[in-house]
Amino acid sequence: MSDLTIVQLYPDELGVAGDRGNVMALTARLTHAGHSVTVVAHEVGSKLPTDVDLVIVGNGPLSAMRNIHADLLANGDRLRALRASGVSVFAYGSGAELLSHSITLIDGTSLEGLGILPFCVTRISTRAVGYVIVGSPFGQIVGFEDNASRWTLDTGAKPLGILDAGSGNGEGSIEGVLDTGTVGTVASGTIAIGTQVGGPVLPLNPLITDAIIASIGKRRGFTVVRSELNESLEHYATRAREVIIAHAKHVFSRI
Amino acid sequence: MSQSQSSTARQRVPNGLKYFLPVVAGKAVRGLAKLRGGGSAFPGYVTTKLAPHFLRDVTSQFRYGIVYVLGSNGKSTTTHMLTEVLRWHGLKVFTNPSGANLPQGIASSILGESSVLGRLDADIGVLEVDEAFALEFAAVVPPSTVLVLNTQVDQLYRFYETERVADMMLDTAQQASLHVVTNREDPYLSKIARRYSDGDETTAPDITYFGASREVIASAPHGLFNATDYRDATVAPESHHALAELVATDRAGAKIIVDGTPVDVTLPAKGLHYAIDAAAALATAAVILGDRFDGASSAAAFAAMKPAYGRGELLDFRNRDGVNEQVEFVMFKNAASLQLNLDALPEPPQQVLLAIDEGTPDISWIYDIDFAALDHVDVITGAKAWQIALRLEHEGIAIGAVEPDLKKAIDIMRALARPSTGLKTWIVNYEIMMLARKQIGFLELENQR
Ligand SMILES: [Zn+2]
Repeated sequence: MSDLTIVQLYPDELGVAGDRGNVMALTARLTHAGHSVTVVAHEVGSKLPTDVDLVIVGNGPLSAMRNIHADLLANGDRLRALRASGVSVFAYGSGAELLSHSITLIDGTSLEGLGILPFCVTRISTRAVGYVIVGSPFGQIVGFEDNASRWTLDTGAKPLGILDAGSGNGEGSIEGVLDTGTVGTVASGTIAIGTQVGGPVLPLNPLITDAIIASIGKRRGFTVVRSELNESLEHYATRAREVIIAHAKHVFSRI
Repeated sequence: MSQSQSSTARQRVPNGLKYFLPVVAGKAVRGLAKLRGGGSAFPGYVTTKLAPHFLRDVTSQFRYGIVYVLGSNGKSTTTHMLTEVLRWHGLKVFTNPSGANLPQGIASSILGESSVLGRLDADIGVLEVDEAFALEFAAVVPPSTVLVLNTQVDQLYRFYETERVADMMLDTAQQASLHVVTNREDPYLSKIARRYSDGDETTAPDITYFGASREVIASAPHGLFNATDYRDATVAPESHHALAELVATDRAGAKIIVDGTPVDVTLPAKGLHYAIDAAAALATAAVILGDRFDGASSAAAFAAMKPAYGRGELLDFRNRDGVNEQVEFVMFKNAASLQLNLDALPEPPQQVLLAIDEGTPDISWIYDIDFAALDHVDVITGAKAWQIALRLEHEGIAIGAVEPDLKKAIDIMRALARPSTGLKTWIVNYEIMMLARKQIGFLELENQR
C-alpha cells in the first residue's frame, strides 16, 4: 500500500480526447488495490512535484501544443530527470509527440520535443480514423485512432506492438513506442509508452493499465494484485473490446 | 404557417425559360429518387450541373437575401427558430429541411420549391449549412447574412482541429454582404472583428453579437462548453455589446433583452444551449428586420413553435401493461450538447435509456462528460453500449441492463412499471433517435420545418 503521485501534464490543453479516462482507469485500479493516489495537474507556470510515480499526458490540437510548448521545454530537464530515475510514462497522441525528439509540421517547420520517447514525428495530410487493434507484449490492445501523423522510431527502439487492424505509426505494421528502460543510460526496467490508440485506451485495456501499474510497482516495491472490485470494470471492458474487434475486422482487416 | 406574401420580392425575374430543361430534368430525377427510396441529394446535383447559375439566380430574387446558419451545435434548432420568427413578422421564408445541410441537399430543396421557370416564391432564405462546405457554397449562393452559433470540440475525425472549423466558419461569415451575427461568448467567434482593418462595427458587413449575461453563464454547471482559443494570447472570449442578451432562464423558457426590450420566449426544450440559440435567432431577426422587428411577434412565434425531433419532444408510449406513458427524447450530437442537456435536467430522471451507436464513431469524449445529473441508468443500448457502461462504471453510476440491441432495450423499458412522472427519458444520438421513433410507431421522416 503506497501513497502514489500521478502528474498529468496540461490537462486543459492536452486532454481533449477523453484523456481523463486514462487517469480514471489507473486511479480506479490503484485504489482498488489499496493504494492512495494523488493526481497533480501540471499547468503552464506551475511547479512540477519532485516525488512522482507516473507522468501522463494526452492529446490536444496544434494550437494547444504551441500554447504549452515553452513551459514544457522549461520543464524539460526535470521531466527527463524523472524518467532517468525510473518514473513511468504514459503518453497519448500529441502529448506523446511532444515527448519525442521533434515534430515536423505540414508547413515544414518543426516543434522541438523533449526526447524522452525514442521517435520522431512527421505530420501528414492523410488522416487515419477508425478502430485499431495491436498485438503488444502485454496482450491485445484495442481502441480508436484519429490522427494525421507518421511516427518514425529510432534505430533499435521498440514499438508498443504489431498492428492487426488500423494504421498505427503509418510506417511499418507497428503501433506506438515502448521504452522498457534499457535504452540509453536508464536501466530501471520501468516503462514509458507512447501511443496513438485512443478510446481512451486504458479503460478499454486493463492489461495495459496493469502493465503501467506493474512498472510503477517495480520502482516502489509492490506488485499488481487482483481485486474483485475490478470485476464489473473488466466485464464491461471485455464486452466493449469484443464489439470493437468485430467492427474493426469488418471495416478494415489486414489479414 | 404561411403569412402575407410580399409582391415586391420579384422585381428581378431571371429569364426563366433557360431553366426549363434543367428544372424538369432535376424534378424527374427527384421523382425517381423518391420511388427508389433514395436520398434527396442527387436531383440538386443534376440541376446544378445542367445550369450552373440556377441556384444563384433563383435565390437572388429574395428581397431580404439569404441567411446562412452555421455552428458546431444548434444549427437545426436555430434555423427553425429564426424561420418562425420571420414568418410571424409576415415574411415568406424558404428554408431547407432539417439536416439537409450539404450543398447537394440544399440545391435539391431549392429545386423542389422552384417553378419550372426558375422562380421561388419567398422573401428570404434561411439555410442551415454544414460548416465544412459553407465557404464553397457561398460562391454559388452568396449569403447576405451569416449567423455563426458556436465553435465546440466536435467531430475531430472530420475536422482534425477545432480551430480549423472555427476558421471555416469565420471565412464564410466574411462572405456576408450585409450582416454577420455571432456569439460574444465564443472565444474564436467573438474575435471576428479583428479580421477587419478598422476592427469594429463600422465594417461591411456589419457585426452583431448575441450572448448571455455573466449571471446566466456563472450559474451553468459547466458553462457553455465552447472551445478554448489556444492560438490566441487571450484564450477567453472578447468583450462586446450584445444586441440580444439572454438574462434569465427557467423551466419553461427564457428572457432575452433585444436592443433594450425584454422578450419572453418559450423554448422547445430545457437547456441553456436552446436559450442561447433563441438569442441568436432574435439578434439575427432584429438586424434583418430593422425597425420592423417586433418583440411581441417574436414571442408569439416561440410560443407557437413545435419542438423539433429529439429536442424536448414527448411521444406517447404504451408500456407492457397497456399503461400510457410518454417518452422524452434528449438528443445529442457531441460532448457539448450532451453535457448541456444533462445540466438542464431538473432532477435525476426516474427511468433512463442511454444510447450511442456507430453514427458517433469516436466516443472517447464521454470520459470528459460529468454524468452527475444521472443517479442511475436503466438500459444502455446501441453499438457502443458496452463502452458507455464502462464509462459509467468508472463513475459508480448504477446500471440496470446493457442491451446493445435497440429493440430488446425498448422492450426492457416497456417492462418497467410506470414512473410517477409518467415520463421515460431516452438520451440518444441522432441515429438512435430516428430508429427508436420508428420502433415505437412514429414513422414520419424528419424534414418538416
Ligand atoms: Zn430507473
